[in-house]
Amino acid sequence: MAAEGVTAGYGPVPVIRDVSLRVAPGEIVAVIGPNGAGKSTLLKAMVGILRVVSGSVRLGADDVTNRAPEVLAQLGVGYVPQVRDIFEPLTVHENLEMGGYLLPRTDVPGRIDTVCAVFPQLGGMLRRRADKLSGGERKMLAIARVLMLDPRVLILDEPTANLSPQLADALLRERVRGLADSGKAVVLVEQRARAAMQIADWTVVLVSGAVRLEGRPDELLGRPDFEAAFLGGGGPPSRGAAPPARPATR
Amino acid sequence: MTAGQIYYATTLLVYAGVDVMACIGLNLQFGVSGLVNFGFIIFQAAGAYTAAVMSMPPAAGTFQQYVGGWQLPFPLPWLGGALAGGLLAIPIGLIVLRRLRADYQAIALLVISIIANTVITNARSFLNGAAGLALVPPPLSGVVDTKTVGYQWLYVGLTMLGCAGAFVAAGRIVHSPYGRTLRAMRERELAAASLGKNLVLLKMAMFVVGGLIAGLSGAVLVGYIGVWAPNTWLYPETIVLFAALIVGGRGNNLGALLGALLVPVAFEEATRFIPQFGPPGFIPAMQRVAIGLLIVGFLWFRPSGTLPERRRVFPKAQSGGMRDGDAAEGFRGSPAFDGRPARAASLAPGPSLMPEGPPPAAASVPRLRAENIARHFEGLRAVDGVSLELYPGRLTGLIGPNGAGKSTLLAVLAGTLPASAGRIVLDGDDVTHLPAFRRAQRGLVRTFQLSSEFSQLTVLENLLVAVPGHPGDTLVGALRGRRSWWPVEARLVNQARALLDRFGMSAAESQYAGDLSGGQRRLVEIMRALMLRPRVLLLDEPMAGVHPSVVDEIASVLEGLRDDGLAILMVEHELSMVDRLCDPVIVMAQGRVIGQGSMTVLRQQREVVEAYIAG
Amino acid sequence: MSIYGAAFGFGLVSAAVIAIAAVGFTMQFGIANLINLAYGEVMISSAYAAWALNQAGVNIWAGVVAAAAFGAALSFVLNRLFYTPFQRRGAVLIGLVIVALAAGLMVSNILLAIVGPDSVSYTMADAVVLRAGGLILTWVQLVIILISAAAMAAVHALLTFTRLGKAMRATAANATLARNCGIPTGRVVDAVWVITGALSGIAGTVAAINSASFRVADGATYLIVILAAAVLGGAGQPYGAMLGALLIGEMTELSAAALSPQYKEVVAFAVLVVVMILRPQGLLSKIGALGSAG
Repeated sequence: MAAEGVTAGYGPVPVIRDVSLRVAPGEIVAVIGPNGAGKSTLLKAMVGILRVVSGSVRLGADDVTNRAPEVLAQLGVGYVPQVRDIFEPLTVHENLEMGGYLLPRTDVPGRIDTVCAVFPQLGGMLRRRADKLSGGERKMLAIARVLMLDPRVLILDEPTANLSPQLADALLRERVRGLADSGKAVVLVEQRARAAMQIADWTVVLVSGAVRLEGRPDELLGRPDFEAAFLGGGGPPSRGAAPPARPATR
Repeated sequence: MTAGQIYYATTLLVYAGVDVMACIGLNLQFGVSGLVNFGFIIFQAAGAYTAAVMSMPPAAGTFQQYVGGWQLPFPLPWLGGALAGGLLAIPIGLIVLRRLRADYQAIALLVISIIANTVITNARSFLNGAAGLALVPPPLSGVVDTKTVGYQWLYVGLTMLGCAGAFVAAGRIVHSPYGRTLRAMRERELAAASLGKNLVLLKMAMFVVGGLIAGLSGAVLVGYIGVWAPNTWLYPETIVLFAALIVGGRGNNLGALLGALLVPVAFEEATRFIPQFGPPGFIPAMQRVAIGLLIVGFLWFRPSGTLPERRRVFPKAQSGGMRDGDAAEGFRGSPAFDGRPARAASLAPGPSLMPEGPPPAAASVPRLRAENIARHFEGLRAVDGVSLELYPGRLTGLIGPNGAGKSTLLAVLAGTLPASAGRIVLDGDDVTHLPAFRRAQRGLVRTFQLSSEFSQLTVLENLLVAVPGHPGDTLVGALRGRRSWWPVEARLVNQARALLDRFGMSAAESQYAGDLSGGQRRLVEIMRALMLRPRVLLLDEPMAGVHPSVVDEIASVLEGLRDDGLAILMVEHELSMVDRLCDPVIVMAQGRVIGQGSMTVLRQQREVVEAYIAG
Repeated sequence: MSIYGAAFGFGLVSAAVIAIAAVGFTMQFGIANLINLAYGEVMISSAYAAWALNQAGVNIWAGVVAAAAFGAALSFVLNRLFYTPFQRRGAVLIGLVIVALAAGLMVSNILLAIVGPDSVSYTMADAVVLRAGGLILTWVQLVIILISAAAMAAVHALLTFTRLGKAMRATAANATLARNCGIPTGRVVDAVWVITGALSGIAGTVAAINSASFRVADGATYLIVILAAAVLGGAGQPYGAMLGALLIGEMTELSAAALSPQYKEVVAFAVLVVVMILRPQGLLSKIGALGSAG
């Protein structure tokens, strides 16, 4: 999946301008940056919640710019928002069923079993109301719900927000990395930049609605202008410099 | 004209007058204040019944049952009718207006109007039940001969007098600073409340004034037709009035007048002249269907009506004794007073930016000192023991990752949220327990992260509405007329214009704030805060949602304010701006201060860098 | 047995009628996000549709089925014609209330133009009176209670066991997320209007059966009682509406026995006002919009 020169926002003023991003199967692209940089806005534009003003969103060879969210779901894009990520008044089981709404009716129970095999904790609480879950369980349910359709692309908006550092680390290392390793393309927006970069194949630093830096995580961490991207000042912005070479996708 | 034609003409004129009055009353509620009073008809009914029983003879010995029967001379029944409408508004307003959401309010009023009808119909001893009252004597009967054509015209004259009274009173309200406050409430209740406007009181006042006018209109009608029965008081009559306002133009008194003439009068009269067809009652029913279509059609195609609410444009050259130089004098060092009377002096005087009060503090003495501020939400420590000092002439930045507690701290300092612990001292006075608007009066003013402009007020009005204590910003002041409040208004207009000039927004003065760009709206908010002449200004993300080209403009404005001696605290995500403007900068993470100093220093601190990068 | 025993029985019947209507009304509020002030008018229109068939010799219970279809069609049309366009345009809740009121005005007056203002009643077999304990019910009233119970069970089954019903709850809870799941929320909302329209049709007809006669103006009084039950139970919550209906039904009938039957709606109204003032979120607010009852 790719965003190419996407400009989008809520009102007349765009929040992100001319942002491009590409993710291949089996790869995690981490989108990081200070708050207010437009990270969530980028994701919302990619999944059809926000209107793309200019630029395009592609899924494989198809142009899916400004397609309805339900169409993108059908095409294999799974989106986990940062908040309001589950149906609170529904049970865990019902949440998963809704995640699998587009599946043939008979496939749903089997698919729930498959997903619960990935998240064994959920299997034990299928009858519980979703708003009774803890923060970590809740996020797992949100991801599991998206997995019901076995999407090709996973788009996660700050999955570790409100989780303890240990839980966050476990979620990213075990779950998110594992999903990518199983062949899914993952776009991950994270506030915990360092933790996200540890599992990412490619990192995009978004500042003030534009891509400030991008590159392989280990390269970026060593660069003097990386911290500056978050805290301002410091080294010269790298935008003028030649764009870093993109690694061959695995 | 034959007698029949005259009779038709006068009847039409009286009906028109009644509808015009009702529409003006409802316009004050719905059009100006945003109160969806689906029960308007019962206030008209109350006025009519009261006027009837005040003018009728005692019930004993007649075939009807009713209370009252005082045979009072004109104009007492009319006044009594108006009073009844107004008094009825008090209990109903107390039930409906205090705690209910706007849509629940509308429904409750609709239900009240349906129920009131059931009660009246069933309670025969009170007002003769379903049969209603008949043989209501016309006004001045016994004094003049009420059977003559001359009396018809007299009645028309009296009706027009009532109309004129309602029109003038409503006009004074709408065009006064009080009306401006009402419209601000209609546009954005929370923002109006944060300016210290008492929403319940404002709504109650408009409920009562609208009730008075409705009651008068009912009294006029019952005196003319002499009969009144509950089945003419059904809630669809209210919908017809709403249709009139939507067609004519909400918020505009002339629109209300036009709507009254177009919908209830012209529309219903026109159908008299089409040939009767269908079963009995077919045509009135079709009229109602058409009324429904008119409402839906206008809301869809022309929601602001035929005569939309007028944009208030203030004349360029101010009268009222202002010295011409005032507006041009700029901010710093201009004389504070220009000989205003004491009452006006309680307001922000003259266009100087700094308020009166404590002398300009030395730059080394903090204007605002916060000690160990804490704010807990259900066990979560959003702000956990923060201390800071704000000095005059300094722009302090407040930064930190999401959820660090920055906005919460700002809200606690401004009084929007109470502090769970700690002390806030403004110019030596403890203000920890003062509500937000009292702190604002003492010079501690905040702006909001979410936009809070009043869309359908002009930029200039957005500034003016912020000023408390305006003599024209009360119902009585508004009714006294323009002369009583214009001197203060003129001075405030000059003050606001000086601000607009300084912020480079003079050209936009008469535009609706809703039509501005995001950046200009932020400027309007900052200017609105400055109208209160703050000593300490708390800004919550003044650059959020602003086009990059405007960011520089806002930045230079803030620099100017800082150099004027304001103590400013600014929460901001755009670190390049913090870098340029703020010194010192306070870094918060997880409710605590983790660093303080210049950005250059902070960038070297591991803890700060980690907070940002590790999240 | 006292008149209160009989009143309790009448209360059950009233509650049964109100429950059918209030559940539909509250589902419209919870899922379609609209306070449908035309609801009472849809009810009375459906009752007249059944009446027309009844006049033509059709059994009234078959008329109930026809009324359900009529109510469903009318509600669907009202939504497509008026509500959805305004909602798409981003009209605020209060603007929609005015549109709904105008829609109700049109429906009731079209009906008035067709059938006139006079009272009518259904032709049906004489009622057999049943006695059990202190309760005195006619056979017809018993059938009404059974219809209501069946309707409540059907709504419960719909919301708990079917994919469509769960999608309705999901849409009510979070429409954006529902779309992200691939749920076609537009069609779900259409289904809500059809189903709740059918409920309003059934409710209108059984209400008309339960009263000796009915007329066009009754639509407005239906609305008050329904509002009271729905608000009492917590707006947007079907199970709350059922509870609200039971309370309102019993309160109105018992007070009618104690005071005067003329003031039934006044009692319902008093309850409505007290609830709006003291507990605007309703009795079952803790459950959350359209949550499962457990």
